[in-house]
Amino acid sequence: MTVTTDTFKTNFLPTWCPGCGDFGIWMSLKNALAELNIGTDDGVVVYGVGCHGNMYDWMKIYGVAALHGRTLPVAQGLKFANHKLPVMVISGDGDGLGEGGNHFMHAAKRNPDIAVFIHDNQVYGLTTGQASPTAQQGFKTKSTPEGVADEPINPLSLALTAGATFVARGFAGDTPGLTAIMKAAIEHKGFAVVDILQPCVTFDKVHTYAWYRQRLYKIEAEYKPDNKLKAIEKAMEWGDKIPVGVLYKEERPTSEDREAALAGEPLKDLPLTIANLDELLHEFI
Amino acid sequence: MIDSVTWKIGGEAGFGIMSSGIMLSRAFARMGYHTFATNEYPSLIRGGHNVITVRIAKDKFESMNRDIHVLVALNKQTIEVHKNELNEGAVVVFDPKDGEYKPEDFPKPVKLLPIPLRDLVAKGMGDPIMRNTVALGVTVALLGAPFEALSSVISDQFKKKGEEVVKHNVDIAKLGYDQVKEDSMFLAKTAKKEDQLVINASEAIGVGAARAGLKFAAIYPMTPINSLITFLADHAKSLNLVYKQPEDEIAGINMAIGASVGGVRSMVATSGGGFALMVEGLAWGGMIEAPLVIDLGMRVGPSTGMPTYTEQGELQFVIHAGHGEFPRIVLAPADVEEAYQLTVDAFNLADRYQVPVFLLTDKYLNESTWCAPKSVFAGDVVIDRGKLVKEQDLPADGSFKRYDLSGPDGVSPRSVPGMKNGFHYANSYEHDEVGHTTEAADKRIAMAAKRLKKFEAIKKDMMVPQVYGDAEAEITFITWGSTRGPVLDAMKLLNKKSRLIHYSWIYPFPAEETMKLLSPATRLIDVEQNATGQLAALIREHTGILIKEKILKYDGRPFFPEEIVEKL
Repeated sequence: MTVTTDTFKTNFLPTWCPGCGDFGIWMSLKNALAELNIGTDDGVVVYGVGCHGNMYDWMKIYGVAALHGRTLPVAQGLKFANHKLPVMVISGDGDGLGEGGNHFMHAAKRNPDIAVFIHDNQVYGLTTGQASPTAQQGFKTKSTPEGVADEPINPLSLALTAGATFVARGFAGDTPGLTAIMKAAIEHKGFAVVDILQPCVTFDKVHTYAWYRQRLYKIEAEYKPDNKLKAIEKAMEWGDKIPVGVLYKEERPTSEDREAALAGEPLKDLPLTIANLDELLHEFI
Repeated sequence: MIDSVTWKIGGEAGFGIMSSGIMLSRAFARMGYHTFATNEYPSLIRGGHNVITVRIAKDKFESMNRDIHVLVALNKQTIEVHKNELNEGAVVVFDPKDGEYKPEDFPKPVKLLPIPLRDLVAKGMGDPIMRNTVALGVTVALLGAPFEALSSVISDQFKKKGEEVVKHNVDIAKLGYDQVKEDSMFLAKTAKKEDQLVINASEAIGVGAARAGLKFAAIYPMTPINSLITFLADHAKSLNLVYKQPEDEIAGINMAIGASVGGVRSMVATSGGGFALMVEGLAWGGMIEAPLVIDLGMRVGPSTGMPTYTEQGELQFVIHAGHGEFPRIVLAPADVEEAYQLTVDAFNLADRYQVPVFLLTDKYLNESTWCAPKSVFAGDVVIDRGKLVKEQDLPADGSFKRYDLSGPDGVSPRSVPGMKNGFHYANSYEHDEVGHTTEAADKRIAMAAKRLKKFEAIKKDMMVPQVYGDAEAEITFITWGSTRGPVLDAMKLLNKKSRLIHYSWIYPFPAEETMKLLSPATRLIDVEQNATGQLAALIREHTGILIKEKILKYDGRPFFPEEIVEKL
């Protein structure tokens, strides 16, 4: 059966605010999956808790709605159980980098074959507008009435230094561009991080679609995403000019590649009875 | 000639104290003796005072006894710390270089056996660390066993390091063996009936898990469950499983639940502090009805507590852990045989009821080296994966409901991501039968009631309390987990009739059976390794029976049978 964006239709309608950046990310994900022919039963998406995470209700593909911040460990467990199944993560900036920051670093260093899509809007929308870990300094929110005091976390440079093997930035307002990046991330064999800039139309009157459109530029065609130091440099660009596209890509053995038990069929299909276990008991005699 | 001997060796950490205890156990277990070794050590890697105590007997026993028959002192401190534990007539093996001891230095009459441990090691061109090997030779001779009993164990222990290392160690042990000419404390002879394993509870749980088809474990290192990690990591390849060290216990339980949702049998193991971090994930597992086995090895708390000492302080914690209400099962093995069997049961129960199942163990179980017939651990077991569906049985019309409400027991069929037509959500939020989020009052009630129905359903698999001793007894002891052993041995020492009601299955609590067993009893005595009597509280909660008399110990050291008798 051919997979189209309609494949993922459920009886639920999005509850996001009209104009929310989540719509663009949702559309791009459906496009990417359709182009890759990954249908309802052919993959699994793990969602965090936040506005982004509500996506599962209107996304008909095997879904795991994890706890706030815990998407990556869950996704790694799923991948170990069936390393032939595409595993994707829909996470937020608070979910993935605040509550789940430690998991993010460690997932990157292990390089599981998982694609992670971070909805980065600098605010906690579901709890009505507090600053997120990526909020820029000076940004006034409900929890920072005098403006954010701390430095923001840069998800891209963090992913790069922690060991992610595919690092990109997308924009929720550019569906064709984001579709291509998400597709490449899913196809990449390894830990792929896509930080997706996304306006929060309700709680952020500063970083609007217009604000982003004035600053975003597509990474030059001649840029080669094979140099980690150059990628970090690119990742640090922020202000009047903000790059969008694939910053870095490398092939490295994945977490699953290193497990002897995963050399063949998925763990879930291996026999439960271990033939040589009685023999092994001799070491205790 | 004696039937049972208790041997203790002490010295600095890093001097092979633990391994010498295990080697001694192995040597005698191979001859058919019953052995048990338990250690005591501070939370350090080197230095500090380490001891291991080994009990060896002709007949089966259940616990470590208090009085020491042979003390091997690898340093002066060992004698100072342990001289009060010596039995009358005990043998003290020491190096004269540590001091000139006289019988009057000891509270009870003892036999002094000065052995030039350091000189013998030097004579054998060995490292000073090999004093424990000389001491093993001395011990085996003292107990009247043939040298081959020890040399075969040494050979197996060092065979990976090559012939030369084996020979060197055997020669050094022989130097010790030849030092003992007379005055020996011969152990009564026994005959070997069958192969016995010398194994701790963590390893027994590892064997049980592998037997049950464990495929994934995510375990962050923590005393006292580290030997489970070693077992799984060492054998991951041959057992066809993945052991992963997570960044923390939060990741551990979420990975394990992820793997479980993905269709494999998975587990975590930790101690109290690590479990505290897992509590959030436990509730998530409860909500999405994921099968999971959790091995919680208790140690002295609260907080970091005394990390290398034992306690039974987490019974009420595991029963109540997690936000919201959801079913769970709590099992508490009393020894290595139960650790193995209950692990197999735990995986079947987890799949059958799609709930978290706890194996509540402790440091005494996990780090003591027990002796048990190999036959207990051998042979395939029944594996029941419950309502895990097969792909071909899923309806093609897309009508599959992962959280189907129609089952009488609250358990629904379970598909796995990737199966054709098995689509569903494993949803942290309250959900409908497919897994879609719902906040409708009627749907919430239906789904919560479905989950809680399992409490009733589980009762058909409930194991009733174990009863030991005399039905006419004037004393009834009540125990759970590892305190069973010391109480059973105490009952043998008592000069009056006694009975034991023991709980290896703890939760859901077997209230009806307990009412039948406890009501007619005259004198009820609750024996627990904690300060508050957590089982007694559970019995009170579920039956109304108030147990007034309690023997509670919370100094981190396991019960000795003798002290239970003294406390009556």
